[in-house]
Amino acid sequence: MHDNGHNPYKPIPMHVVRAYYESNDHSLKTLELTFDHHADQVEFFEKFNPGQFCQLSIFGKGEAPFGVASAAWEGDFVRFTIQKLGSFTQYAHTLQPGDPIGMRGPLGNGFPLLDWLGKTLVIIGGGCAFSTLYALTKHVHHPQNRQDFEELIVIYGARTSGLCMYKHDIQSWHQRDDMQIHQAIDVPEEDWDHHVGYVPDVVKEVAPSPDNAVAVVCGPPIMTKFTLPVLVELGFPPENIFTSLEKRMKCGIGKCGRCNIGSKYICKDGPVFSLKELQELPDDI
Amino acid sequence: MMYLLEKKKINTELSAWAKDYEVITPQKVENYTQFLPFDESSTLELTNPHNTRYPPKALFFPQTETMLTYNSRLGRFEETQVRDEPRIIFGIRPCDASAFALMDTVFLSEDYTDPYWKTKRESAIVVGLGCNNPPQTCFCTTVGGGPFNHEGLDALLTDHGEFFFVQVLTEKGRALFEDLPLASEEQVNEIKKIQKKASDKMAPAFETKGLKQKLDIIFESSYWEKIAESCLGCGICTFLCPTCFCFDIVDEVQRKKRIRNWDTCMFRIYSQEASGHNPRPSNRERTRQRLMHKYSYWLDQIGEIGCTGCGRCVRYCPVGLDIRAMLRIASQQESEVIHA
Repeated sequence: MHDNGHNPYKPIPMHVVRAYYESNDHSLKTLELTFDHHADQVEFFEKFNPGQFCQLSIFGKGEAPFGVASAAWEGDFVRFTIQKLGSFTQYAHTLQPGDPIGMRGPLGNGFPLLDWLGKTLVIIGGGCAFSTLYALTKHVHHPQNRQDFEELIVIYGARTSGLCMYKHDIQSWHQRDDMQIHQAIDVPEEDWDHHVGYVPDVVKEVAPSPDNAVAVVCGPPIMTKFTLPVLVELGFPPENIFTSLEKRMKCGIGKCGRCNIGSKYICKDGPVFSLKELQELPDDI
Repeated sequence: MMYLLEKKKINTELSAWAKDYEVITPQKVENYTQFLPFDESSTLELTNPHNTRYPPKALFFPQTETMLTYNSRLGRFEETQVRDEPRIIFGIRPCDASAFALMDTVFLSEDYTDPYWKTKRESAIVVGLGCNNPPQTCFCTTVGGGPFNHEGLDALLTDHGEFFFVQVLTEKGRALFEDLPLASEEQVNEIKKIQKKASDKMAPAFETKGLKQKLDIIFESSYWEKIAESCLGCGICTFLCPTCFCFDIVDEVQRKKRIRNWDTCMFRIYSQEASGHNPRPSNRERTRQRLMHKYSYWLDQIGEIGCTGCGRCVRYCPVGLDIRAMLRIASQQESEVIHA
C-alpha cells in the first residue's frame, strides 16, 4: 500500500449515516460512515480488504483503531462496531446520523484472500471481535466471491444472546444453503436453539475438517488462546490458522513504535497473522 | 578532496551562510549544549568532546510538533505548513548524523512517508564534526560506526590546528565548501592519521557478534528482572537517544491542534490498553523492549543495530545504568541458559 503522497496522518472527512445499538445492554454500537468526498470513497474501496482496520478520529478525544465490519459490495459506507470502554468510545456512542467524524485507512494487511482461493473457510469468532469476521463472511457471500471458495463454516459465540451482533442478518444465515452457521452462547437461555458453551468446545463439537481448509480465529485473548490448540489437534497446520491481533496504537502506519512486537508492527505488518508467524514472535502480546 | 576552513574565519563563514540558510550549531546554554540557530551573539561549542546533551533528532522530529489544526466550524482537520526553509546543521557528531540515516528507514519507508520528517530532512545540509578524542562513554566503533563515520552527512570536518579540514561527501556539501582552499596531500595524510588514531583508541565496549541471538534466547530469563531492578522508568535514556522515534499523538483542545510528542516505551501507559490489559506491565518488560528493539528487532528489520553508540543513555541515566554493561551481562547470560 502507498499513501499516494497524502499526509497519512490527516483523517478522511466522513459523517455518520446510521448509528444503532448492536447489543441489548447498549455496550456495543454500530456506526456506518459515508465519505464527504467521492474521490476519497473511490480510493478507499480500491485499497480495502476484509480484515483491515481504520483509525477513527474525533478531535479532543483522539484516535482509536477499529476493524471494518462491512464488505465493499454492501454499499458506499464503512461499518464499525464499537464497544463502549474508554473516553473515545464513550463519545463515539453519542454520535448521531449527520455528525462529522474523521477516519484514516484502510490500515493493515487484512486477510490473505488470494492465498485462500479455492479453500474451505472456517471462521471462528467470539464477542465483539467478530466484526472483521462479519466483513469477511459478507465478502464471501457475494455471488462473485462465493465461487472463489469451497465450504464456508462460521462459528460465532457470545456471552449471551443479547450480546450477539448483527442478529437479524446472522439469523438469515441459518436458511442459506451455501454455508454452515454455528452460534453459541456461554450459559443456557430460554428459546435458544443453538449451541451452549464456550467457543473452543463448540469448535471441538463441530470438528471442521482441516482438508484444504484455513481457519480464522478472532475473539477475546482467552478464547483465542484455548481455540488455537483445538484447531491444531483437529489437524490444522499453524500456517493455515490465522488470527488478528490488537494492541494500543497511535499512528497506524508503523511510525510511532507503540504496537511493536519483535520485528513486526501490528498496525502495518498485521493485524492478521498466521499462527506460524505468531510462533516466531516473542511472547510480548 | 579536502578543503581548509580557517577556524578564525568560522563566524564569518557561518554569518555568510546565514543569509541564505538557517544555520544551526551546537551552542552552550546554561550548563549544557544544544543545537540552536546561529547569530552574531551565539556561543559556539565546537571544542567539547561530548555531543550535545539534547539530541539533534529534534531538528527533524521536534519534541513537540503540530501535525494538524482543527477547524471547529467545519468539524474538520486541516494541514499545517511544515517548515521547509533551507538549513545548515553545522558541527553534528557522526553518531547523531548516522542516527538520521537510521530514522530515515522509519519515517521515509516505502509504504508510508512521514511528511513532517521528510520536508525538514530534505531541506537540510548536514555538516559533521569528527571526534578526535572520543569520551569514555562513547562506543560508536562497537556498533559499526566510528568517530569519523560518513553516514548521514554531506560533509565532515576534522579539527586540526588552525583549521577544520573539510571532506565533501555529497553535492550538497560541495556547494558549501568549493570556494575554500584545498588541503595539500601531506595535510590530507595527516588528517587520515588523526582519524585512524581516534578510532583505534576506542576499545570494543561489548561483543556484538551473536548478541542478537543471545538476546532472543534469554527473552524469558530472570536477567531482565535483575537489570530492571534499579531502573526508575524515567525514560531519559529514550528521550535523549538519537534513534528513539516513538511518539504519542494528542489533541490540544484549546489551541485547536493535534500534536505529537516524543514518547517512551519506558512508561507504563505507553502500552496500556483500554481494556486494562498491559503487555508490558513492569520495568522488566519495558527495559527488555528498549534493549531488544535496538539490538534485536532493528537487525530483523533493516539488518543494522538501532544504536549509534552516542553514549547519552550512559551519561545521563540518573541511577547509572549502563547499556554497555547490560549487554555484556546479557552475553554471559546465554552460556548459563545453555548449560542449565
